[in-house]
Amino acid sequence: MKGVVFNLLEDAVTRQHGLLAWDSLLDMAGLEGAYTSLGSYPDSEVVRLVGAASTALGLSPGEVLRWFGRSAIPLLFERYPAFFVPHTGAQSFVASINDIIHPEVRKLYAGAGCPHFHFHDLEDGRTGLAYQSPRRMCPLAHGFIEGAADHFGDTVEIEHLSCMLDGHPVCRIALSWSPRAC
Amino acid sequence: MKQEAIPLPLELDHAGTVDRLERLVQREREGRLQAEAIAERGLRELYDSQVRLALLQRITDCANRSNDFSDAIDEVLKEICEHMSWAFGTAYRVDGGGKVVSCDSWYSAEPARLFPLVEATRERTFASGEGLPGRVLRDAHPHWIDEAELATDFCRRVEAALCGIRSACGFPVLIGDEIVCVLEFFARTAMIDKDAILLTVTQAATQLARVIERERAREALVHDALHDAMTGLPNRTLLDERARAAFDRLADNREGLAVLVIDLDGFKAINDTYGHHAGDIVLIETARRFENVIAARCGGRRRGDQASWRATLARVGGDEFVVVLDALPDPAIARELSGALIEALKAPIAVADEYVNVGLSVGIAHSSTGYATVDQLRQDADLAMYEAKSGGHGGVVTFSEALGAERRSRMAMENELRDAIRERQFTLFYQPIFALAEGPGGSEKLRGFEALIRWNHPERGLVEPGRFIPAAEAGGLIVFIGDWVLREACNAMARLHADLTARGHKPEDLPYISINIAPQQFLQPSFSAHVQRVLLETGVPPERVRLEVTEGVAIIDPDQTRQVLEQVRSWGVQTSLDDFGTGYSSLSYLQNLPFDTLKIDRSFIASMHDPKSRKIIRAILDLASNLNLSVVAEGIETGEQGASLREMGCEFGQGFHLGRPLDEASAFALIWPEGKDTDA
Repeated sequence: MKGVVFNLLEDAVTRQHGLLAWDSLLDMAGLEGAYTSLGSYPDSEVVRLVGAASTALGLSPGEVLRWFGRSAIPLLFERYPAFFVPHTGAQSFVASINDIIHPEVRKLYAGAGCPHFHFHDLEDGRTGLAYQSPRRMCPLAHGFIEGAADHFGDTVEIEHLSCMLDGHPVCRIALSWSPRAC
Repeated sequence: MKQEAIPLPLELDHAGTVDRLERLVQREREGRLQAEAIAERGLRELYDSQVRLALLQRITDCANRSNDFSDAIDEVLKEICEHMSWAFGTAYRVDGGGKVVSCDSWYSAEPARLFPLVEATRERTFASGEGLPGRVLRDAHPHWIDEAELATDFCRRVEAALCGIRSACGFPVLIGDEIVCVLEFFARTAMIDKDAILLTVTQAATQLARVIERERAREALVHDALHDAMTGLPNRTLLDERARAAFDRLADNREGLAVLVIDLDGFKAINDTYGHHAGDIVLIETARRFENVIAARCGGRRRGDQASWRATLARVGGDEFVVVLDALPDPAIARELSGALIEALKAPIAVADEYVNVGLSVGIAHSSTGYATVDQLRQDADLAMYEAKSGGHGGVVTFSEALGAERRSRMAMENELRDAIRERQFTLFYQPIFALAEGPGGSEKLRGFEALIRWNHPERGLVEPGRFIPAAEAGGLIVFIGDWVLREACNAMARLHADLTARGHKPEDLPYISINIAPQQFLQPSFSAHVQRVLLETGVPPERVRLEVTEGVAIIDPDQTRQVLEQVRSWGVQTSLDDFGTGYSSLSYLQNLPFDTLKIDRSFIASMHDPKSRKIIRAILDLASNLNLSVVAEGIETGEQGASLREMGCEFGQGFHLGRPLDEASAFALIWPEGKDTDA
């Protein structure tokens, strides 16, 4: 896992719970906690941090990830405004993730393994998003989408049609974007 | 150096310490974020430049590999589109008339999705200023079209919108200041980083320009290799290629192909008189007139539309042109065209303040089942051309079987003649020449001999010159034979003179030897030097040697003829104009060329019973007398002829009546009518 994910988590925790809360989480997870966006760290450390947060906050790990994703978007905007500039809405921002954001991530971190999101039209008119990753962090994606909607002032309904966390081979998420109120 | 202590807060309670440490941590965080941002920027730039360099390396490799533009452009468009994530890229070549023409080279990762725009772009032509490519052509700099302009002001906006295009750009490909190509790209997103795009595409364009430059250089080389630099016409190589291809295309009946071999008459004289520059002008003008005639007759021959037949006009040698006519519906067209070419050269050509005329000799050969290769056809056309040229007046000769048979026998004869030269099968006969005025003894006095060649053929016996000299002339062998005759005749005369002198003959009574010189031999650059050498080596007195030439030499090259005649005469050698009265008999030759003697052609003597012939003979005698030339009548076969000529004042004569050509011993014995041996 890229160091930037740890940095974002640290920022999200610090903003909402204060500087010392992050230190406490590290303690609880038994981690040293020196992360830089330029480095890569074992996935297990994220899992342990999420686990610690889950215990501390009284939330499921999934809920922690979803909260983290949603909170990370404003932080990402601060760090990487260029990803947001070309888009006027959350829908196109989310749709650009495979083609623009991931290639940009790979520019910074040679060999970064980015998850692929397969977008397609569902029969009921919603947008389907299929996702498969050994990290099984679909709630994080869910949170990112909510955060993007927040950022652009859009409304989206997100439904997990199937989930790896429930033993399905892939996560399938349905997105229903509402027209923006002007 | 001693340092003061940094002042610490006076009252540092616990909460204050925490605040300060938090600020410290915050600063550390800020520092780390800045460091990360700097490093990330560096990494991003490094990555971008590595990718761009790799792209340019691929484009450069492709440019190095490609010999022509169409090879390179597809790959370059693909590389740029993939690198930039652009939806569609295409290219236009700049055409001479200030337009850009789509070269139907394009790339799209999703052709199906881009179909409307690709179809609206392929095979399109834009005038200068029209559309995006036209604007690039007009302004010679890149143009960018954003989403707003694309939607309102773009001529392919409907198709662009259908394909979800949001932006476009166009770039010139330049060689020096010349725009040779325009590249056009479309993207489904905005083109933000114009500097980076410009850097990349401009460098790609430079590589493409190199390919076009190389393509042009190669085309120029190929053109130069296949065309005559002076006239711009196809050269022999290109002609051979086309002729061979046309020959291979012939239908089963093998008809429809004709080769015209054209040689200019009088060209060498123009070159010699006015210089090579004038010769060049004549060739260029000739080529131009020929092209016009052919273009007018076969219509749009370059495009190959309306005309049913095609023509390739080529310059294949100094003053030799060849036309290959292909897909001829009627063989008569070749002859008509030849006539038109001759007609086109009737009008004089302006050369350095003068007007000159050249004539044409044209030989035509038509394809038939008898030809295995186009080279044979060409050889027969050559032969027909020589036949036309040998008439002396130019004109058109179409190859025929008779001509072919003649050629075959002539070639067989040539081979035999080569053997004859090698094996010394020639021998000289000598015909006496007499003073017609009766001497003291009541008979004509022998004044000299004409050396006449015989071929002592191993199977056919003695062969008369009329049977083999034409073949020797056609095969260029006459020069060798003629040199042998000159030397052998001089040798024989020197032997005779030595013999006579030993017997007390006065030098002024020694007989002369008259030797026929063929035009080819006479016009050899080294001829006069050769004569001088023979005179020195044989020791024959020059004033006892008489060189006979025909008008032919003067027709071929009057200046050279005059120079050679003057030179040999300066050594004392006498000169004789043979066969006078036939051919041109141009009085200007008599006036300008230094001859000592005229020989009246035997045909006038044979018809002396006809008053007309007698009048001509009288006129020739008067003319010769006025020009101070002596006259020898040839072919005197009867006593009456001799008597008449004597009465008319003809000084000298030869012929069967006076003495047949004899071998050396028999001929030279004539000097002593009573017999050499008895006198000795």
